[in-house]
Amino acid sequence: MRVTNMLPDVQYQMQQSQQALSVALQQVSTGLRVNQPSDDPAASANLVASLAASANVDQYTANVGSVLPQLQTADASISSVETTLNSAITVGISGANGTNTAANRQALASQVQGFLSDVIAQANTSFQGNYVFGGSATGAPPFVAASTSFASTQGSAGSPLAPSTALTAGSVTTISDATTGDKMVFKAKTGDTVATLQAAIAGAVSAGTLSAGTSAIINASGQLAIGTNSSTAGIVVNSNDAVLGSMTATPGTVVANAYAYVGNSGTNNAQVGDSLSVPTSLPGDQVFTTGSNVLGSLNSLITALQSGTTAQIGTATSAVSAALNLVTQARIPLDNSISQLNSQESYLGQETVTLTTQQTSLVGINLAEAATNLSQAELTNSAVLAAAAKVLPQTLLNYLAPG
Amino acid sequence: MSLNASLLTAVQALSADTGALQATNSNIANANTPGYTRKVAILQEAAPTNENNLSVGNGVVLEGYQSVRDELVQTQIQQETQAQSGANAQLATLQQVQPTFTTSTQDIGTQMSALFSSLSGLSTNPNSSAAGEAVLTAGQNLATAFNTASNTLNSQQAGLNTQVNQDVNQINQITQQIAALNPQIAQLTSTGQDGGTLQDQQDQLVLQLSALTNVAVTKTDNGEMLTTGNGTPLVVGSQNFALSTTTNSDGMQDVLDQNGTAITASITGGDLGGTIQTRDQAIPGLLSQLDTLANQFGTAFNAAQATGFNQDGSAGQNFFTIPTSVAGSAGSIKMAITDPTMIAASSDGSAGNNGNLANLSAVQTAALPAGETPGNAYASLVYQVGSLTSNANAESTAIGSSLVQLNNQLSSVSGVSIDEESSNLITFQTAYEAAARVVSTIQELFSITMSMGTTAAE
Repeated sequence: MRVTNMLPDVQYQMQQSQQALSVALQQVSTGLRVNQPSDDPAASANLVASLAASANVDQYTANVGSVLPQLQTADASISSVETTLNSAITVGISGANGTNTAANRQALASQVQGFLSDVIAQANTSFQGNYVFGGSATGAPPFVAASTSFASTQGSAGSPLAPSTALTAGSVTTISDATTGDKMVFKAKTGDTVATLQAAIAGAVSAGTLSAGTSAIINASGQLAIGTNSSTAGIVVNSNDAVLGSMTATPGTVVANAYAYVGNSGTNNAQVGDSLSVPTSLPGDQVFTTGSNVLGSLNSLITALQSGTTAQIGTATSAVSAALNLVTQARIPLDNSISQLNSQESYLGQETVTLTTQQTSLVGINLAEAATNLSQAELTNSAVLAAAAKVLPQTLLNYLAPG
Repeated sequence: MSLNASLLTAVQALSADTGALQATNSNIANANTPGYTRKVAILQEAAPTNENNLSVGNGVVLEGYQSVRDELVQTQIQQETQAQSGANAQLATLQQVQPTFTTSTQDIGTQMSALFSSLSGLSTNPNSSAAGEAVLTAGQNLATAFNTASNTLNSQQAGLNTQVNQDVNQINQITQQIAALNPQIAQLTSTGQDGGTLQDQQDQLVLQLSALTNVAVTKTDNGEMLTTGNGTPLVVGSQNFALSTTTNSDGMQDVLDQNGTAITASITGGDLGGTIQTRDQAIPGLLSQLDTLANQFGTAFNAAQATGFNQDGSAGQNFFTIPTSVAGSAGSIKMAITDPTMIAASSDGSAGNNGNLANLSAVQTAALPAGETPGNAYASLVYQVGSLTSNANAESTAIGSSLVQLNNQLSSVSGVSIDEESSNLITFQTAYEAAARVVSTIQELFSITMSMGTTAAE
């Protein structure tokens, strides 16, 4: 073949080797084999998925970090309640001793009152604004002082509510009873009226959910009034029905030492793994009111110490003991969650390493390989340049005698 | 045989050698001129004369000059140039699109993960307005990432659309020049001469045209006939047919032939072909997937939001504002809410409940109507951008190396070798010197002849 000019070939070779050099340089300086999707489309697509998984793992780790102190706070609260209940039992036992004077018992009763306040404070514990014993309703204190009577804000003497007044479908009215520790939830359906609510309350009374005597009436001001007929039975009523308006406690009807649970029976959960979530709040009624009523038993003990017989004090003290057992049991799942979080934390640490390794193998390059590539590219490039320098100046004119 | 005849032969030799030197001169002068084909002087023995039954040679005749060409390689180079320009046009655009889809702190994938992370963060602390704000910020960032990607694709498409007009203008200029050369070359070839420099110019113009569009060349008696697309004439004889453009219903420039018929889809090569292919297929393909992802993601997120309740207990409203039509969704998706209490975290309306956040988070792992999870849908978009770019790059590189080969082949036939011309120079110089010596010898013989019969000075 007739060769006329080697320049285009040499230029092409130089371009190729310089391109290889630039790629090798980029790999060494970034530590990455894939710097843009076109370098390896499949690896780039896999990287997207892997990075999303990494972001999740990072977030799970952060979640463990914020959930753990929350659960530890709840645990510390229950532990503190246990101590308080033990003290209450000691007080109850000494109060049951027949040698006590009435004055002594009054003193003991006020001591138990203090214990009850302590327990309420613990039951309303919040961590960074989240009430941990409110079930999934973590936005407000779950235990509130109960009153004997509540009235609706809607309705007036001029335009009274009536049994036939239709309720808003989908609205929820709840009556939390401090004595039974239970609550009635009434969700209005289409066609429900005030009379339906009244019937539901009567049903809840006969079922034992609400204290005997609890009823709803239209009062003289034309409002719906829900109340107990006992000065010692307290309830808390909430409603989001626009027809009734918010339910407010009648002033002066607060029952001493009676607290009702206004949280719910759900839990908030936080994801700490792709398929693992832990509760971040507990339904406080299960710990403090339902089954064996911690708050109710303390209240009974106070009443018994104030005005009861030795036997009544003994019974009330036993009830507090039973309540203590329940609290201790309620702590078990909480402790399980805490230890689960601890082990999840170390698992997530490993997972991060695994994913990072995966990402490195997808788009990274190890330094030794990159350095080898670079020195090879360097060698090739200098060889091409040296060859070009030798070949290009070669011409017959160099050898012809001038002139 | 007369001295006169011999002198004539020697003078013809002088003139032939001068002619050959002129060819060498021209070759050396144009050694680096693009498109130049080397010329050779065609020397031929002059017809002999018969004298007394003796046939005597009459020396040399310079018949003319010939350019040394290889039409086949020339055609191959034109075709490869079409393919390379097409691939380069695609590559240039895709390389600008690619950074938008490269993993960074701002790409859609990262922002999508950030949104789900922020939701997960909110679930551990549903009453925190800071955690709520983080969700809103992440949502806003994701919407912005969608907007940016859509804008990048749209502005590239608009740029390509302008390029179509520029290419068509250039094509028209070049075809005009080619058409003007046709009659001149035809005139030369009709008299049996070589097209020479004019042919070089025309070949070079056809090569330039090949860089712009797919061209088919047919040799006719009236010069080269050029067509593009599916046989749309560009040049016939001395006549060139200008292409034109018009805005179609999509707002894009269509290419029209001289009759006003749209031939956009049949332009497959050259810069124009690559530009049209990227503008009408690659970018709309990516845009439509991006729009579908933005639309379906936004819809799924809004649906999850609707299953829950705000902090104030009212039913969840739309999180993203998305247009009803899928097209343009990525460009116009934006946040519908600005208040963190409007995030429908609650599943039952109670304040502080985080039950519905699980539904919002589930959007990450649930398949969208298009069949993939949002993350995977984005990953396949990344794959496509990467694969389109890397294919265009590979094509351009492969053609580049084959063009180097073809150019070597062509220059092996048509290229000027300085060494070769240098030795030709010596050859013809020597021949010229020798012929001149013959002239002076004959001159001496003449003077001897003239002094015959006079007394020679002893």
